[in-house]
Amino acid sequence: MTSISLYVDKKSIVHDVDFLTKLIYCCVFIVAPIITGAVILGTFSFLVSLILIISAGALKKLMPIAALSLFVLLSVIIIQSAFIQGYHDVLFTIGPVHFYREGLIHASSIVVRFLDILLAFSLIVLTTHPADMVETLQRKGLSHRIGYVILSVFQIIPQMAQTMKTISDAQRSRGLETEGNIFIRAKAFLPLIGPVVINSLIGTRERAMALEARAFSAEVKHTYFRDEPVYRYKTPVRLILLLLLIVSIAWRLL
Amino acid sequence: MSKIIVKSLKYKYPLTEALALNGLTFQIERGEFIGIIGRNGAGKSTLCAALSGLVPHFFKGAYGGSILIDGINVKESKLSDIARKVGIVFQNPFTQMTGAKDSVTEELAFGMENLAIPKTEMVRRIDDALRLLEIENLRDKNPFELSGGQMQRVAIASILVMLPEVIVLDEPTSQLDPQGTEEVFKAIKRLSNQGMTIIMVEHKTEKIAEYADRVMLLDQGQIVAFDPPAKLFSLSNLEERGVRPPVFTRVAKGLDIHDQVGLYPVTLESTVNEVQKVYESH
Repeated sequence: MTSISLYVDKKSIVHDVDFLTKLIYCCVFIVAPIITGAVILGTFSFLVSLILIISAGALKKLMPIAALSLFVLLSVIIIQSAFIQGYHDVLFTIGPVHFYREGLIHASSIVVRFLDILLAFSLIVLTTHPADMVETLQRKGLSHRIGYVILSVFQIIPQMAQTMKTISDAQRSRGLETEGNIFIRAKAFLPLIGPVVINSLIGTRERAMALEARAFSAEVKHTYFRDEPVYRYKTPVRLILLLLLIVSIAWRLL
Repeated sequence: MSKIIVKSLKYKYPLTEALALNGLTFQIERGEFIGIIGRNGAGKSTLCAALSGLVPHFFKGAYGGSILIDGINVKESKLSDIARKVGIVFQNPFTQMTGAKDSVTEELAFGMENLAIPKTEMVRRIDDALRLLEIENLRDKNPFELSGGQMQRVAIASILVMLPEVIVLDEPTSQLDPQGTEEVFKAIKRLSNQGMTIIMVEHKTEKIAEYADRVMLLDQGQIVAFDPPAKLFSLSNLEERGVRPPVFTRVAKGLDIHDQVGLYPVTLESTVNEVQKVYESH
């Protein structure tokens, strides 16, 4: 089954940690380096996240995310070190472009923060089942309608893509040119939009009816078929994370 | 007291002129298997929606008359309350999957979660439904990985676990291949044998003739006939109403083979019996 979820279904110590504890970890490991302003702490944070992702066996799934981010990070480095006015200390030169030391230092702090945020969030997404995330939030008061929307997106979008492919194949079998340069592709895209949108609207209406037939709008406190994940060490781990946050605030104040 | 009492039911969709349901009055007893037939646009699906409360709670529009299910007025009840009494299964098995669950068991649990059923009870009901519909082997599969027939049986099971007293099926086999159709009909037959009230819209008249206790013929939102299969399919003007009688009935009509009261056979078994009688009398 195609799903756009990034969750890696494995058994590991990281997978055993409950969603809320991971969320607290994520917040602390993002906020603490920002509060202290220390690049070294940011580096430490993202390295910890990276080690945890590797130990969870989710490094492979992290690669596409990292590859996408690489383009952004390279842009940041180039713009910050070569195209910001006011820097004087030239570190090296490539052709007519001078790269400044101050710019690179500033770019590195941005890159570290970016990687820290990216890896902390990736840790949650790669090692927590989407249903566990949503149900934890629902148990804490998130509307079950919003929860349903979040969960259904993971499976329904790939299904819509499949429908789009089916319609595209049907149109192609009737002579529509869908391959070639950008103009041919754009021209082919227009006749596909109508059937895809109409099909999606009909499907959405039918699904809404089917949900109502299953008491979706019942105004009662829902129960859950999935067991709430229980993490044995959640209290000490959360306390340690809280302590880290307090220490980082104290570091900043002192 | 009848399970379902419909009195002077009228309904018109928003922004339309014609009545989709035009003064329907009928009663259905507990445990009956009712087949609904008629041409496209006759009002079959609208009647299903009305019986399950989707009309007027989901589809707005002009509504008149009443539907009482077990003494509860559909118009005055909430959809979630009606869902406890009446379950509905639609044509397209794909759109009946929530799309938010990873396995068949979780899919079946969805409706019960909405009704705040405790987990132990959910597990019991899921086991019962899987067994009844013979889909225990699909328990851990992703619903979207199933075939059409399997998915439709999961859709029926997902309604069944909510323990409704009535199941309405709106052309549940129209998008299925012959094997999928057979799987679904066998499942419905088992539900019927358990004493559940079943209301089924279906174009496959051979199947309706085989399973239904009574058949309702709708045309232009009105009831043309509501009789046992043999009586209904013996009517002479069915083709004009957009209904093709079962093949056995058409053969019997062609050969003028009928019983003592002039009713034509509608199933293979009854046709064989009548042909045998004619053969012996000669």
